[in-house]
Amino acid sequence: MHNTESIRSWSDQLEETLIALILGVMTLITFANVIARYVFNSNILWALETTVFLFAWLVLVGAAYAVKNNLHIGVDILVRALPASMQKTMAITAVLCSLLFCLLAVYGAYQYWLPFAGERAWYEVDDIPAPDVLQMLAGVMNEGERWEKLPRFIPYFCLPLGFTLLTLRFLQVARRVFAGEQVLLVTSHDANEATSGDADSENASGSVSDDASNNASGNASDNASNNRGTR
Amino acid sequence: MDVALLFGLIILLLLIGVPIAISLGLSSILFLMVFSDTSLASIAQTFFSAFSGHYTLLAIPFFILASTFMSTGGVAQRIIRFAINSVGHFKGGLAIAGVFACMLFAALSGSSPATVVAIGTIVIAGMRQVGYTKEFAAGVICNAGTLGILIPPSIVMVVYAASVDVSVGRMFLAGVFPGLIAGLMLMIGIYIWARYKGLPSQPRASLKDWLASARDAGWGLFLIVIILGGIYGGIFTPTEAAAVAAVYAFVVSNFVYRDMGPLKGEGDTRISLLRKPHALVTAWFHPDTRYALLEAGKLTIVLLFIIANALVLKHVLTEERIPQAITEAMLAAGLGPIAFLVVVNALLLIGGQFMEPSGLIVIVAPLVFPIAMELGIDPIHLGIIMVVNMEIGMITPPVGLNLFVTAGVARMSVLGVVKAALPWVGIMFLFLILVTYVPIISTFLPTLMMGPEIITQ
Repeated sequence: MHNTESIRSWSDQLEETLIALILGVMTLITFANVIARYVFNSNILWALETTVFLFAWLVLVGAAYAVKNNLHIGVDILVRALPASMQKTMAITAVLCSLLFCLLAVYGAYQYWLPFAGERAWYEVDDIPAPDVLQMLAGVMNEGERWEKLPRFIPYFCLPLGFTLLTLRFLQVARRVFAGEQVLLVTSHDANEATSGDADSENASGSVSDDASNNASGNASDNASNNRGTR
Repeated sequence: MDVALLFGLIILLLLIGVPIAISLGLSSILFLMVFSDTSLASIAQTFFSAFSGHYTLLAIPFFILASTFMSTGGVAQRIIRFAINSVGHFKGGLAIAGVFACMLFAALSGSSPATVVAIGTIVIAGMRQVGYTKEFAAGVICNAGTLGILIPPSIVMVVYAASVDVSVGRMFLAGVFPGLIAGLMLMIGIYIWARYKGLPSQPRASLKDWLASARDAGWGLFLIVIILGGIYGGIFTPTEAAAVAAVYAFVVSNFVYRDMGPLKGEGDTRISLLRKPHALVTAWFHPDTRYALLEAGKLTIVLLFIIANALVLKHVLTEERIPQAITEAMLAAGLGPIAFLVVVNALLLIGGQFMEPSGLIVIVAPLVFPIAMELGIDPIHLGIIMVVNMEIGMITPPVGLNLFVTAGVARMSVLGVVKAALPWVGIMFLFLILVTYVPIISTFLPTLMMGPEIITQ
């Protein structure tokens, strides 16, 4: 048990750092492009396309993180009103529906992505230059021809990756639902519970993730701002 | 009929507790599999193009980020102090100041729940201290917080602009007057209530205090000048404006207010940049920065995952030519502009009870937009009507995001907040009717600043 805890916090750390990093990079690239235009009178050609691809990666890969931390919003009012036994039935139905969505989406994502990694590996994006490291793959995937621009299978990979992760996270939720440890797939809106998972609550006490150590730094600053607020 | 089945399935999934995004996505995919021969791969493509094909939507994460820096950076406090110094001396002054602070914060933030959290956390506690009831305080802030999506910048407006291809700049401008009027109506309502109930007023602030608080809040409020000035001055696109706003908010909160980051000392002390110049570098990697980025990232993920799935549903609806069918049916039934707007309001109010605003706009806007154009309704005006409906949707159960966050902030039950908010929802309804039938309120400013609109549909 202890082992899985530490693995979970490790993956949490990784995902949280990635989310923060991607968003930060997106912002800086867009900002740099404005500066480039007005200060240096030039344009970062690849800026827009890179930002857009990062955006897709952020959301599609982040969706799985949001499942794990119960961040997705929905209607909990009916489920709450039911007796406990019915709640479990509902939760099982809901998680099975979510898994059905995941499986269909994973299938569609691979169906869409595989050609780009196979016979259409020559298909490049519009603006982003291909890094040299990538050319090693050119022999295998692109009949030895160098890519001038980034091949499309790279940005598109967020689709199969994102939905595969989403499926895995919902499988974990399903396990917890069957074990009776969890009844809600969506953010809880009960005032008595800590609702840090709530989409917008910056003030929340941050106890949604099981391993509090994870958010320790965040909570510290959070509480600090709350204290300042009430003073 | 098929479509009724589609929407029935969505509502059913929502009710059993499936997340909104997945309810929309699963229903659309199943519908496509049964009623059309679209491949699952094309759905994956729709998913990806939700991001790659909608450059405007990119403004959303940046606006969220700017607002997160502003919230963690204690800007709210300064805005509240300025608001109290400005209007606190009226009867019920603290409540009126709360509304004013929500309006000001709305000009920094594009989201209503964020506004409630930032302002409500401080103001609700303050109002209770001077003897207002908890219900009154929560009800006022819950309603005033909805101005977050009406006063520019606004995430919901960005979503509307992206889904029907109107200018984000025009939408933002169009929101200014309605936002001011709604705020004013709430303030008048509170003032009348306060006279009747004899609520206390704050001592009048001296001019010196007022100026000091104005200057202090000014750094934060300058953000709206950057956003609106930048867009209308043609300096940058709305997306770039949002990114610049995010960077500005980061700089202000780290180096001017120093409420977060390396220059924040123990307690209330602040470290001078001169004494710690390496902060210029470390601020970018400080845990507070990472935390703000993560919080904004989480919100972006949840919101955009809903929008992406709603775009899949929109894809289904347009593929099945539903908007055209509805347009023809409505026009055949001899629907006039007024009746049409009543229908739109009813549809959005009911939908707004169950759906997250951005997702609902993505679905409903393409349905009603063609009819509106046939009837000669201004697309910007239609957008404002939708936004105001979404505001009301946020303060009515079961899916009222503002209710949930207010409940959290005021430590009340959601049901308690629903009851507390109800009298003020009445004012918002009056306001909705006003905005719906007096289009000039919305269209005046954009037409004045950007010239008459050319409708190409």
